[in-house]
Amino acid sequence: MDERTMRIRRQSFLNRVLNPRYIMVYATIGVFLLIYLFGALMYGDIGFTTIRTFLNMFIDNAYFGISAVGMTMVLITGGIDLSVAAIAALTGMFIAYGNTILGIDPFLCIAFAMVIGIGMGALMGAMIHYLNVPPFITTLTGMFLARGVCSMISSESVAINNDAFNALAGWKVNVMKLVDGVWVKVKPIAFINLNVLLFLFVMLLGAYLLKSTKFGRNVYAVGGNEQSAKLMGLPVARTKILVYAFNGLCSVLMGVSYALYVKSGWALALMGGELDVITMAVIGGTLLTGGVGYMLGTFFGVMLKSIIPALITFNGNLLSWWGKIATGALLLLFIGIQRIVVTYSAKRKGKAADCVSKKT
Amino acid sequence: MPDKRILEMKGIEIQFPGVKALDKVDFDLIAGEVHALLGENGAGKSTLIKCLTGVHHMDAGKIIYDGKEITPTSPQAAINMGISTVFQEINLCQNLTVAENIFVGRLPMKRRHRIDWKGINNRASELLKRFNIHIDVTRPLDYFSTGIQQMVSIARAVDIKAKILILDEPTSSLDENEVERLFDVVRELKKSGMGIIFITHFLDQAFVISDRLTVLRNGRLVGDFYARNISKIELVRQMIGKDMEQIFALKRPTVAADATNMLDVESLGIASKVADVSFTLKTGELIGFAGLLGSGRTETAEMIFGVTRAEHGTIKIHDREVRIHSPLDAINQQMAFCPEDRKRDGIIGDLSVRENISLVVQSRRGIFNPMSIKEQAELADQYIQLLGIATPDAEKKVGELSGGNQQKVILARWMATQPDLLILDEPTRGIDVGAKAEIQRLMLKMCAEGVSVIFISSELDEILRCANRVIVMRDRCKAGELPGESSRQEDILHVIAEGTATGEEA
Amino acid sequence: MKWKFDSQHILKSKITWAVVAELLILLVCLIIRPEFFEISYQESTGMLYGSIIDILNRSSEITIIALGMTLVIALAGTDLSVGAVVALSGAIGLKLMRWDMSEYPTAGNYSVTPLIWVFLVALGICFLFGCFNGLMVSRFGLQPIIATLVLMVAGRGVAQIITNGRQMTTNFAPFKFISQGSVLFLPMPIIITAVIFILMVLLTRKTSFGMFVEAVGINPRASRVSGLRSSLIIFSAYAITGLLAGISGLIYASRIGQNDSNNAGINYEMDAILAVVIGGTSMSGGKFSLAGTVMGSIIIRTIITFVYYFGVAAEAIMAFKALIVLVVIVLQAEPVREFISKRRKARKTAIRGELHG
Repeated sequence: MDERTMRIRRQSFLNRVLNPRYIMVYATIGVFLLIYLFGALMYGDIGFTTIRTFLNMFIDNAYFGISAVGMTMVLITGGIDLSVAAIAALTGMFIAYGNTILGIDPFLCIAFAMVIGIGMGALMGAMIHYLNVPPFITTLTGMFLARGVCSMISSESVAINNDAFNALAGWKVNVMKLVDGVWVKVKPIAFINLNVLLFLFVMLLGAYLLKSTKFGRNVYAVGGNEQSAKLMGLPVARTKILVYAFNGLCSVLMGVSYALYVKSGWALALMGGELDVITMAVIGGTLLTGGVGYMLGTFFGVMLKSIIPALITFNGNLLSWWGKIATGALLLLFIGIQRIVVTYSAKRKGKAADCVSKKT
Repeated sequence: MPDKRILEMKGIEIQFPGVKALDKVDFDLIAGEVHALLGENGAGKSTLIKCLTGVHHMDAGKIIYDGKEITPTSPQAAINMGISTVFQEINLCQNLTVAENIFVGRLPMKRRHRIDWKGINNRASELLKRFNIHIDVTRPLDYFSTGIQQMVSIARAVDIKAKILILDEPTSSLDENEVERLFDVVRELKKSGMGIIFITHFLDQAFVISDRLTVLRNGRLVGDFYARNISKIELVRQMIGKDMEQIFALKRPTVAADATNMLDVESLGIASKVADVSFTLKTGELIGFAGLLGSGRTETAEMIFGVTRAEHGTIKIHDREVRIHSPLDAINQQMAFCPEDRKRDGIIGDLSVRENISLVVQSRRGIFNPMSIKEQAELADQYIQLLGIATPDAEKKVGELSGGNQQKVILARWMATQPDLLILDEPTRGIDVGAKAEIQRLMLKMCAEGVSVIFISSELDEILRCANRVIVMRDRCKAGELPGESSRQEDILHVIAEGTATGEEA
Repeated sequence: MKWKFDSQHILKSKITWAVVAELLILLVCLIIRPEFFEISYQESTGMLYGSIIDILNRSSEITIIALGMTLVIALAGTDLSVGAVVALSGAIGLKLMRWDMSEYPTAGNYSVTPLIWVFLVALGICFLFGCFNGLMVSRFGLQPIIATLVLMVAGRGVAQIITNGRQMTTNFAPFKFISQGSVLFLPMPIIITAVIFILMVLLTRKTSFGMFVEAVGINPRASRVSGLRSSLIIFSAYAITGLLAGISGLIYASRIGQNDSNNAGINYEMDAILAVVIGGTSMSGGKFSLAGTVMGSIIIRTIITFVYYFGVAAEAIMAFKALIVLVVIVLQAEPVREFISKRRKARKTAIRGELHG
């Protein structure tokens, strides 16, 4: 009896790890490790493997990562949100214009941006759910609106010169190591800043929401099969609206993070960033058809997308444009893997699935 | 067993646009019994259930549940009252784990806002163990077969402390073992005093599991019977009934003695759907396909027409073997096919009558040999007149016509290609009596002109009146072949019910 | 798309609302500044000038793409890669004309490659890009958004690689002609657009292609049963869109006299989709209207010109566009349409015996 329980327990642990639904996440992690290994072999001697290089990938992409968290949730519900970069730009503009031109406290500006961002997200979610407008068009409109308002505020780039804000932007923690009982900074100097912490915090929050709250499970259910979710009595409308609202919040946080990064606000900031964010989520194993996606995958999606420019910088001879092509190729690779996984699992239970879909 | 009625439905009436879906139907359910609800498509079974679960709202009648009169407003409200439904299509989320599917919407929480995963998984395991199912509940649902999925949805329904469990065609995609397992569960539940309503097309299963059987036909109650007091044949007769329409003077097609083989089908099949079907069809002959829904009639037709690709077997046309991999191949072989599901496979709703009628002719002519609008209009007008399609003009969207007229448009689409072989899958279902007779007449007229016809129908009258030969399908195989002229309904019913024929053996 | 006004045929037409919207905007212009409508003839160039001409001229690039996008959207898809293809087309064109850029950096009035080859190669490659999209969607059954996202991301990279990341300029007169020249007093882009429009109309309405596209877009299953080769049809729609995006890219490159892999065609995919949707083609596929699409594109450009011309605030263009789109999509939204048609039905007493399910 005891032995059996033990066996089952061990089995269930193995099962949990080998669960087929994690294949995509493993693929992302695997490809990331492979590329990292490649980089280490090629450019290890010029510092690719240092902590500094590794942390810089975080620092340069933290703002995208923040938005990728919200985007992952939206994609899991089967939607899409094209307005994220525009809302982020608007946030940056609020802070810059509000503080530099109007002299408002930057944190008040951030609070205002949050209200606007969450409000817009909720509004778009409501339009998608109640008016049945495709998410693509709805959020495209949202993007135009946000960009439009942004350039109406100012078409010029506005610098941010607030002491408190700059202090935040400059705040960092150096990575130390213990040498002969004394803490010294590692060489070359490596640090993490507020953006990285914010990214990690939002990522963990997202993972917690998805994994351990009713809201998170409803998100998966809605994305898996909206009709079923409705029949099972789940609050579909509320879930969808909340997801877009949360994504609006993430967009605002991306804007704050980007403002901390560049210390200015500009109407054209982060142009096309929404696609970077979507790409990160997709190579992280999130399906655009909805229902599947994990924060861990997205995390490595962000890493994977950030390691390419790093590699190109280290190479030194390649034009940065190879980065775009490499990203495209990565996307293609992961779509291919997804396709194979989906076909494989459909084939495995081919006939059964066929019979079910037969009669409606 | 004490006779405790937990549900009484009295004089239920529902009016749909143009059709009385339910007409003064009574139904009742006793705690601890399995009550089967039978009837062909469109008889009103689903409508009755949807009325009970608050999807449709009744125009007249009352529902007494547990001694109180209720008016269910939504599926959710019904569930809360203790009326759970398991549908034929599995209404669960394939991407969630088994355990989650059972509990989502009422997940047990730990410290208020954290999901208690361990608890969920343990409880789900326990619950399924009661059904004698031992699976890893942490796997996503789509990892498991349909049978297991069906059990999971029952587990979900049962765990909501239901007093009434409605099973709407739960077995249509299960294999024998899975059905057996399901029935074990149902017996278990029955013992615990739950009232179970079981809707099915499979008579055998209804007899195995049910205590009582209620038969509906055309929205009316035919009667309710104790399973032990009624024979299968009698039951089938009750379900199918005599057609109420006046019988037109229909003349069975005469097949010339020297008629050549038009179609020769040999052991055509797909492993999971239809087992080796063989038959021949002569020029100008009409073969009827009888059998209950899901018996493999439609699947056979779809294989012949290339909608689904047969895994084995051969098709010969005029004694020449042909390869049919897509509907286009079939069309090029002068075949035509009116599919069973008009909305899904037939009409293209937003296109006009003209475009719908000329679609197949056009697809055979190819993209670069278009018909002018005038040609299309002439073709359309010709068939609008010939078939008496009731439409103000040929430019009306097909989606806005009535069911019968939509069916005629599809018929016109295929007649316009002047086929040698016409496959009609339930062409008369869901349309009014007049249109029905007209479509039958047209079919026979085409036979007289030398077209061979395969006619699939659930209405035996219809088949017996028109067909030269009748092929009876049962359980995804050909169960028998009867001559059309000398057979009586009883003969066919016998084959459908018992699977044995006077002719060949399945 | 479903303006269900049975009684009046004119109101039923999808293009009507787009025309009404356009006329309303023009009316506002007329009231504020009548000279908006002035058209003058300049002898030196042999061309007509004026805001209206300008609207038509400048809308060409989007219109041409949107014509292809109409087919794609009618098939319930989207093509996000067109903007990148625009950049790519210009890059290939300029590269072929200015092989010698490294030796002679200034713009000159010549081309290294015969112009015909410049066009053929550039358009050929864009066509292949379209084919790639088409293959991904029709053959491998990928979601259009994600299938075309690949080239949207990678396309500009390819353009940069081709030109080695440089901006090349040209003053080659025959090449400039396709944007600056004129035929029949009208700027060339208008002529090209008109020709393409006519060709597309011929393709869709004089062959059965248009009907097939609509059939597949509305009900793919029924279309297959009716013998349509849906994957071939889907494939062609994307291939055509790729080709048209290429043409649009050459016009743009000619207009600015250089390639600009960063900014050429930016947001064109969004504008093209909007033009199609404003023109009355639903994103869920089905009936489409090429004339409506042209109208949609003109509306977008009119808004931009309007804003520029009156100097309201050039920055407000985006917000303006968003508001117009908002109105259009809300009017087109299913629940709103249902609401409207329900009210209409209530007025009409004729009851059709429609059988559901």
